[in-house]
Amino acid sequence: MAARSIFKRKSKKGISANDENFSRYLDANIDDNLESIKEMLDSPNDLVMRRFHLGEHKCAIVYIDGLSDKATIEENVLKNLEIIERNKKLTSTDKPNLLAIIHEELISLTSIQNVNTMDELMLSLLSGGSVFVLDGVDRVLLLDTKMWENRSIEEPVSESLIRGPREGFVENLRTNMVLLRRQIRDPNLHFKTHEIGRRSKKKLVVAYISGIIHPDILKEVNRRLEAIDTDDALESGFIEQWIEDSFLSPFPQVDNTERPDKAAAGLTQGKFVIILDGTPFVLIAPTTIGNTFQSPEDYYERWLIGTLLRCLRYLAAFITMFLPALYIALVSFHQGMIPSQLAFSIAATREGVPFPAFVEAVLMGVTMELLREAGARLPKTIGQTIGIVGGLVIGEAAVSAGVVSPIMVIVVALTAVASFTLPLYSVAISFRLIRFTFMLAAAFLGLYGIVLTYIMINIHIVNLKSFGVPYSAPFAPTFFRDWDDLILRVPIPMLTKRPEYLQPTDSKAGDKEGKRV
Amino acid sequence: MKWFEYGDETISDKELLIAVPSTIIGVGILSLPREIAKNTVSADGWLSIFIVGVLFIGFAWIIAKLASTYPHQSFFSYASSLVTRPIATVLTILLALQGFVLTAFVMRVISDIAKEYLFDQTPVEVIALSFLLVVVYAIAGSRAGLFRLNMMFFPIIIFITVLVGGFAVAWFSVDNYLPVFKTDLSGHLKAMQTSSFSFTGLAILLFYTSIVRKPKKAPKMAAIGMAIVPVLYIFIYLLCLGVFGNLATANLNYPIIELAKEIEVPGGFFERFDSIFFVIWIMSIFNTTAMSLDVTVFALESISKLKKIQLLYILAPLIYLVGMFPQDLITVVQLGEFVSYYGVLITIFATVLLVIMSVIKRRRSNV
Repeated sequence: MAARSIFKRKSKKGISANDENFSRYLDANIDDNLESIKEMLDSPNDLVMRRFHLGEHKCAIVYIDGLSDKATIEENVLKNLEIIERNKKLTSTDKPNLLAIIHEELISLTSIQNVNTMDELMLSLLSGGSVFVLDGVDRVLLLDTKMWENRSIEEPVSESLIRGPREGFVENLRTNMVLLRRQIRDPNLHFKTHEIGRRSKKKLVVAYISGIIHPDILKEVNRRLEAIDTDDALESGFIEQWIEDSFLSPFPQVDNTERPDKAAAGLTQGKFVIILDGTPFVLIAPTTIGNTFQSPEDYYERWLIGTLLRCLRYLAAFITMFLPALYIALVSFHQGMIPSQLAFSIAATREGVPFPAFVEAVLMGVTMELLREAGARLPKTIGQTIGIVGGLVIGEAAVSAGVVSPIMVIVVALTAVASFTLPLYSVAISFRLIRFTFMLAAAFLGLYGIVLTYIMINIHIVNLKSFGVPYSAPFAPTFFRDWDDLILRVPIPMLTKRPEYLQPTDSKAGDKEGKRV
Repeated sequence: MKWFEYGDETISDKELLIAVPSTIIGVGILSLPREIAKNTVSADGWLSIFIVGVLFIGFAWIIAKLASTYPHQSFFSYASSLVTRPIATVLTILLALQGFVLTAFVMRVISDIAKEYLFDQTPVEVIALSFLLVVVYAIAGSRAGLFRLNMMFFPIIIFITVLVGGFAVAWFSVDNYLPVFKTDLSGHLKAMQTSSFSFTGLAILLFYTSIVRKPKKAPKMAAIGMAIVPVLYIFIYLLCLGVFGNLATANLNYPIIELAKEIEVPGGFFERFDSIFFVIWIMSIFNTTAMSLDVTVFALESISKLKKIQLLYILAPLIYLVGMFPQDLITVVQLGEFVSYYGVLITIFATVLLVIMSVIKRRRSNV
């Protein structure tokens, strides 16, 4: 909450300081106009103002070097105007008319706007457009000459698959929209544009398939997006945290992906997708706990493999959350539950360990998180070294130094490996976080503490919602029909219905694409 | 087009179905085989459970039928239209009291069992407090959420019971079931009386039927839900009898937990399965407690101006005090008897009264 109020305060101040500039109308005098543009931007050296004459009329083209495409301006604007100038046809026409003629006939660009406020002018100029100013008219033409360097389409780094498309979203909004359109060639695939950030004015697009998505979900997301009040949304993570139902929950209620195929699958299921300019991570919502265990690859492999992988991931989630806690509970409270052979060997290995099981587990758990974080921050080539140093050397040394028991090392290593099998990074982090809660509960109340914590987490999950859809669906409220794609993944030809828990408008259309991730 | 109606504070008929066994199955069954084995010869007790079960299925149907004739009306509103406002208030308070003492008793029992099977040093007070806090947390959330919890935990409970049954096959002896039908009538009556105490909790139907989306289906769903209970009870009873025989069962405190202790899990991962069984059974007991406390809160909400959270703050400490009041096992058992008698009687009383009034009223309006 604190962060949010700080943001609000800042942005309110910001807008009041800028109000007078932004509502200002343009002048008829070209010099005044150019002067005020310069003044507002504090005459930066990348601001290009090319003045020239069109017959006896003074005009100018203004753009920011690097944001606009020089070649386009030269080819489609300046050259055309020069030809006209030579013909000297336009000298007698009155000025507003002249601007209209230039707009309609002389500039060969696909997108031109005729505006009269400084506000619109600035927005266009700063997002790469160029401005055509004519002396004696209080309006200008905004020419779409956007062209800046972009990363080309590459394989998504955060979600790599063995089988599946190799292309991932990029930072450019238009490219991302194209990637989606290439997946779904349906005229009902609609894009609704919002503008985010008082200062950054970034474009944000909500994509959905009308006729599938429930209209109320759409209404709700648009309402929430309009309520966003921030200076800048650096990444879609900002948007996610603004619009999710409960920002205090450890579980993310919005899914994110770099994969167009996954986004498209979400759309055909009746979800919506949010694309923010400047980030390759698009958001998919509503999402539920079941989505946590789904990976696009489940559908690309044959159903038996897909199903087994699903089951494996459920197991992995339980191992991630429960294994260290179980170890603590069994060793410190319920020794009787361990088979006697194993109990003896555990006791023997714990002989020299000076710490109680809980301290031992926390020690190793934190070490593991440190190694993971270090590995993620370092460049790839050094990252591997961390794995070897951490995993092998520290583990081995810790055991022989008698700080931890070898069983503990197995437990921690298994937990780490299990947590990495979860396909959604953001959820995997939540599970690892929850693990520490379980460990604490186990240290105080053993198995009883573990089960109470498990009940508490379930209570939290059943009360959580993602855009009105219960987070625990389709487990509870139970939609048995949706269970064909939950723990099991039945063969693709049998996945003919869209998920019922999303209440799609068009659920009965046996769309075979309908049931993908 | 319907908007996510399940997101509201209403429940589906399926959720009502599961809520009935979730509420009723709890601590009662843990000691039920002992109580029945005491009064019957060999394994005849299943008949007692069966008869009581059938009676209660009918009873559940009647309660749900009564409540669903006044669709989407709270208990207090339809009760006051039938038996005037002051009497309805008294009935509501009496029924709320039932949920209240049931919660306190169950909390106490679970702490005692946990102390017996899981810890030897942790004080009962701590065990009970942590359990109560989790229950309070559950009720502080949405009511529909509670029903979803039932939906999530109930399959796990059935699963673990069946698992214990599966592992117990090796210790099973059919001889324990012989001879059949040797119990006299008084023994059966006694067994029926004790087993009916394991069926407390039906009062929830009086209240929750009002938030079911399709009240017309409620009676059928309540009856089906109720039918799960005797089936599970008979399963557990026969399981205990088959493994331990009548004499041993009659002398074991919690036969089903002892059974879990007896069996051996293939693979040798766990030496003692009883802790695992009991820990998972806690979920079932949690459901019982959460539902009965929530029904108390729900009932009091309708007659007082206090909000849900305020009521919870008032009730929770009182429940803790009542639950911790008995000093020894005998007092706990006495409290349990009181809870069961009171619960069954008040539910029957309220239902019969309201059904009669409802019939009279309809006759009158027809004339």
